[in-house]
Amino acid sequence: MNQIEALKLYENSIKILKKNQHEKGGYYASPPGTRYPFIYPRDHSIDILGAIAGGLMDEAKKGLEFMLKSQKPSGEFSQRYDVDGNDASYKDLQIDGNGLILFSLGKYFEATGGSFFEEMADREFVLEHWDTIEKTVEFILMNKNEEVDLIHTINSIHEYPAYEHGFEIYANCACCAGIFAAVKMGQAIDKDVSKWESEAETIKNAILTRMYSPRRRSFIKCIRVKDKKSNPIGYDAFASSVIDVDVVEYSPAYFELIAEYDVKNISTVKRIHEQLWDKEIGGLNRYPELWGRNNGGYGPWCHFTCQLANHYTAIDNKDMAEMYLGWVVEMAHNYQLPEHISTIERFEMWLEDYTNAKILRDSKMTMIENTRNHPKWKYGLAYVTIPLIWPHAEYIRAYVNYMDKFHPQ
Amino acid sequence: MIRLSSMMPKAFLMGIVKLVDMIGPEETDKWIISIGKKLGDREGPGFEGAREDGINYMPICPFANELVEFVEIDGERPPQFMDIIKSTNKRREQSDRGWEFPAISNIFCIFHHSYRKHRAEMAGNTMLHLGCKSPLSSMVAYNDKAIEKAGMSRDDVDKVLEKSICVFKVQESKTE
Repeated sequence: MNQIEALKLYENSIKILKKNQHEKGGYYASPPGTRYPFIYPRDHSIDILGAIAGGLMDEAKKGLEFMLKSQKPSGEFSQRYDVDGNDASYKDLQIDGNGLILFSLGKYFEATGGSFFEEMADREFVLEHWDTIEKTVEFILMNKNEEVDLIHTINSIHEYPAYEHGFEIYANCACCAGIFAAVKMGQAIDKDVSKWESEAETIKNAILTRMYSPRRRSFIKCIRVKDKKSNPIGYDAFASSVIDVDVVEYSPAYFELIAEYDVKNISTVKRIHEQLWDKEIGGLNRYPELWGRNNGGYGPWCHFTCQLANHYTAIDNKDMAEMYLGWVVEMAHNYQLPEHISTIERFEMWLEDYTNAKILRDSKMTMIENTRNHPKWKYGLAYVTIPLIWPHAEYIRAYVNYMDKFHPQ
Repeated sequence: MIRLSSMMPKAFLMGIVKLVDMIGPEETDKWIISIGKKLGDREGPGFEGAREDGINYMPICPFANELVEFVEIDGERPPQFMDIIKSTNKRREQSDRGWEFPAISNIFCIFHHSYRKHRAEMAGNTMLHLGCKSPLSSMVAYNDKAIEKAGMSRDDVDKVLEKSICVFKVQESKTE
C-alpha cells in the first residue's frame, strides 16, 4: 500500500468530515448541491464514529446532539432529516438507525472516558438525553418478534425492502449492539437496565443461531417476514430466507457482538471475499449482481471495503488488510471517495435495464450526468456520487486501526 | 376482490361513505381532518416529498392504489365522495384563508393534506397544497388561493406536475 497516499487520504477525509457537518450538527450524506444533501441517521452515525476515531470529539458530540433532538414522538428515527432536524424521509421504517445512534453514542461515551473512564466519561451528556435513549430502546423492542426474538424492519442498509423486509442481519446487529450500548451507559449513571440487558442477550442469541447457517458456514442476510407480529411466522405471506451472500453478513463482528476471530465470522468473511471481491476492478461489492438493483452500474463500494479491511487488521492479516485498504487508497480521486465504482460497460447495462423496464426515476438523471462527466469516465470507470461522506468516516476508522496495529508510533 | 389482510384501507373508505349518509359531508370532512391531525401528532414535525427549488412534490400518490381498487370494485366513485369534495371546495372559495385548504383530486387529498399541513405546522411552518392529479382520471385540481400565496401560477404548478402527481410548498409561518 502506498503509505504516503494513504496518509493524504486520511488527512483529507478528516477535512471532508469537518467541512460537511452543518452548523446545527448534522452530517450531510453528500455535500449540498449533490445527490444526498440531507442528514441520514445511518450515514450520520458512521460519520460520528469516524469523527471519534479521528479525534473530533466536539464534532461528534454536536452530531449526537443534533440527532438525539430529532427523534420522532414514537421513539423512531426517520430515514432522513433536513438540516433543522425536521423529518424529510420518503421511505418506510429503517430501524437500524435507532441501533446505530445508540451504538455511536455509546462509542462517544467510552471515548470521553478512555483510560480514565470513571473520572472523565461524559455522564452529564448521557443523563441529559436519557429520556431519548429510553425511547430509542423501547422503540426497538416494540419491533421485536416474540416468537423468534428478532427485530423486524422494512428497510435496512441497502434500503431495499424486496430483499430486507423482515428480520435482517444488519438491522438486528445494529439494534442489539445499540441496546448493549444503552445498558453500559445506563449502568454508568446508576439506572436499572437489567431488563434491557436480558433483551439484548436474547436478541444476540437469536442472531447467532437463527441467522447463522452451519451448512453454509455463514451468517445469512434475512428471514423475510411481512408483518412483525405474525404468529406463527411460518404462515406469514413473505415467509422465506434470503441466503445470498451479502457484505453485511459481517455485521455480528462489526457491531462487536462476536469476536473478529470467532469461527462463524472467519468463515462468513471468507464467503464474502470469495463471492463479492470484484474480479475485474477489485474492491468489495455489496451483494450479488443478479439482484438487479445496481444504480449506476454494479460495482464495489468503498465503505464496505474499509469495513472488511478492519476485519483483516483485527485478525493480524496484514496482506489482506493492505489489499483492501490499498484498493480504497488507489481508487480515491483527488483524495475523495465515491459511493461506489463501476465500469462503463456495467453502467450502460444498468441504464439499459432500467430504461427498458421503465423504472429509471427522474432523480437519477443528475447522477447519470455527473458520472459520465467525471474524469474517471475516460479511464473506463463510473464514479457514482463523489464525494460520499460515509466512506471517508469508514476510511478514518480503518486507517487508524491499521496504523495502530501495523505501524504504531 | 377484497382480501382480509388488505381490508383496512377499504374499510376506511367505506366508513367515509357511511358517515356522509349519517352526518353529512361537512361533519365527515371534519372527521377526516381530525384523523389526519392525530396521525400527524404521532409522527411529529416534518416535511414530505422530494424538494426542488423550494417546491415539494410526490412522484406517486401513496393512496392511489387503494382508491383505484376501491372504485374498481364498486364500479363507480361513490357520490358521497363528491359530496365532501364539493362541500370543501365551496368552503375554500368562500374562505379568506382559502390557501389553508387542500387542492382535491380525490377524497384522500383531504386526509393527506391535514396530516401533511399539521406536521409542517409542528415544524414551525405551514404547507400550501398547490395542485394534484387524479389517479382515476385526467382531472387536475388546483388551489388557486394557495398558488397565489406561493407567488406562483398554474403554469408553474403544471411544470412540476409533469413529473409528479402532487405539488405543495413549505411556507414560513411568519410570512402569513
